[in-house]
Amino acid sequence: MTALRAGTFPEQAVRERARTGAAAAFPSLSDYGSALLGEPVGPAPADALDAARLVPPVFMPLRLEKLIDLAREPLHGDVDLATTVGGFTARLPLYLSAFGSTRAVGTDLGLAAAAQAGALGIPMVVGENVVPVDGYTGERSLLARISAYADHAPDGAGGVVVQQSTEDADAEVWNRVYSDPATRSLLDSGRLGFELKVGQGAKPGLGGLTVVDGDAADRLAGQYALEPLGDRVLRSASPGTFTEEILRQQVRLMRNNYPRARVWVKLPPGRDVAAAADVAWQAGADAVTVDGAEGGSGWAPTASLAGVGLPLAECLRRIGSPCGCLLVSGRVWEGLRAVKCLAAGATATGLGRAALLAVDENPRSGLTRLVEAMALELRLLISALGKYHPSALSTEDLWSPAGWSVPASSMVAG
Amino acid sequence: MDTTTPAPADPRAHLTSPATRAVLRVQHRVLDAVREHLGGRGFTEMLPPVIGPVTDPGARGAKQVDVDYYGHRYKLMTSAILYKQASLTAFDRIFCIAPNVRLEPLETSSTSRHLAEFHQIDVEVAGASRDDATRVAEDLVVHVVRRVVEHCVAELGVLGRDPDAFTDLVSGRGFERRTHATAVADLHGFGHDQNPDAEIDWTGEALLSSKSSSPFFVTDYPKGSRGFYDRENPANPGRLLNFDLLAPEGYGELCSGSEREHEYAAIVARMRETGENPAKYAWYLKMVREGVPSSAGFGIGLERLVRYLCGLDSVWQASAFPKIPGVVSP
Repeated sequence: MTALRAGTFPEQAVRERARTGAAAAFPSLSDYGSALLGEPVGPAPADALDAARLVPPVFMPLRLEKLIDLAREPLHGDVDLATTVGGFTARLPLYLSAFGSTRAVGTDLGLAAAAQAGALGIPMVVGENVVPVDGYTGERSLLARISAYADHAPDGAGGVVVQQSTEDADAEVWNRVYSDPATRSLLDSGRLGFELKVGQGAKPGLGGLTVVDGDAADRLAGQYALEPLGDRVLRSASPGTFTEEILRQQVRLMRNNYPRARVWVKLPPGRDVAAAADVAWQAGADAVTVDGAEGGSGWAPTASLAGVGLPLAECLRRIGSPCGCLLVSGRVWEGLRAVKCLAAGATATGLGRAALLAVDENPRSGLTRLVEAMALELRLLISALGKYHPSALSTEDLWSPAGWSVPASSMVAG
Repeated sequence: MDTTTPAPADPRAHLTSPATRAVLRVQHRVLDAVREHLGGRGFTEMLPPVIGPVTDPGARGAKQVDVDYYGHRYKLMTSAILYKQASLTAFDRIFCIAPNVRLEPLETSSTSRHLAEFHQIDVEVAGASRDDATRVAEDLVVHVVRRVVEHCVAELGVLGRDPDAFTDLVSGRGFERRTHATAVADLHGFGHDQNPDAEIDWTGEALLSSKSSSPFFVTDYPKGSRGFYDRENPANPGRLLNFDLLAPEGYGELCSGSEREHEYAAIVARMRETGENPAKYAWYLKMVREGVPSSAGFGIGLERLVRYLCGLDSVWQASAFPKIPGVVSP
């Protein structure tokens, strides 16, 4: 365990899961048989997703279908969590969100998370600016993370997605990865993808920000905007300029230039997130990832963190019924919030800060245990809704005191 | 064609083989004919730069080669396009025999028509339209083929290439044209799953090429399949005023060209659409902002043209010192 902190995140709960795995999905086992349980009394819901509840029906026609299929009453263990996530076969409706090059992600954490995500068979996104800041080869490098993942991934499952932002284009990150013999097994097995970074949750409208020391600043001069910040230097990447046409053509160019790679687009929680997601899907993106304003592990201005961008719940509402694979992240660390996201239209949810904290707690198996607990919750909750695959979830499974309104244009008939 | 012809293990064996010698003589004749033809039509031959702060980003998935230029990151040229446009401020009609280096994706090692190091016969004409450029390209190819057929009978004999293969080409009937949309429909008709928004893929290109007995143009590629300098058709947004010239008999693409974007704002917007960071194109954008002539032009792959003329299995056989993508070689 390092000095990694996440004050705005349920850090202790995540660390407990990283230590104890599925047991942490229940009240303390020592209370079993002695404590009288009920709805926990905790702090007020942090957002509309937390405020919403999953609402199982009484009548369950899909459970009947499963019963007929199995010739016995189904249980939560019959929920099949294998899902196609952005063109990859994933064993769970989860993916490892991008970690940038910020200092919180030390060598061990980035590599540990990559190795465990690989073994779990869930896709992993590697953040932009890893190459310009940490290099392409070497201990902390992009290639080290990709190798750690590929060395542990089971055949036919998972995939690695490499981000590139506007300045990264100078380093030709995608060209380099696509032509590298070291990534050929991933490419040949259809498990390599590229993610166009349009923005992020923690600082919508701004580009990547990192704080570097003087030596690193000298190295980055000329490529990034640099300005003093206390006794350090703030390095700013541009967010890039996007219009509908620019986004459409960039996605098409990715498909043109890397025909064997999957194409993902990461959107910030902007007010036109639904329109942008549609442009990306229409242009052929295999997935659109949306980072809610509550998401993000990276360095950001306090003002952005406090009051810029749509919360994930509102992004999901505005997108309604997605016409492509929608991947979302933003304070997801346990199964309840994940299932709510899936019911609200997502195909999978990303683990960002939760994954970092988990591997910080236990570099060998922290993420594996965290995911073990989530997988049990996903199975329990999805089966409680009378469903046996994440794709069967819908907004009928959600109830909110404020109502879970979906744009009329996005309502699915029936 | 045998697509599995191995690369030569030994440069001496390659250079001293009668076949390679015949191929290199044909290449020499091709270069003579290019200079004869273009020189006689008012073109000035220029020598293109080998390195620069920025190069053509338009190559599909290919990595550029970085060079440390006194502490600055420079690039080996992947094509001469930026310098061709700039050169039109000196002369209205220019050409060059440009060396290019592209670290192509490894999958191209089996296409039989990719080299990591190759040469282009690059042509650019100020004030020209796409139709002007295709006319120049067609006349040039016909002239070169005629010269080779006239002067390289012995070499073609060594290589087993029947000069009758060029009967249609030199007949004066003109090269057929079809749009990218038609080519995509043709490929779908052949059962090939071609992405309509993208470049014709390697397999599709070979398929189209194998169905033809004479070179043909494919025009109007979709935006999103080419670099920022291919001009978007104002009358047909989303389509480019560009073209490829494909050889027949399965030999595939010989040449790419287009009418060029030359207006500053359009170029900057197109750079963003192709994911480029305009900041690194400073010298080029300054020139464009101050004004460069409208133009059209093209680049013919020299080794590809020689491969077609000689009827070679693989393009590396048309190079004295071939660099096949991913293969370590002298």
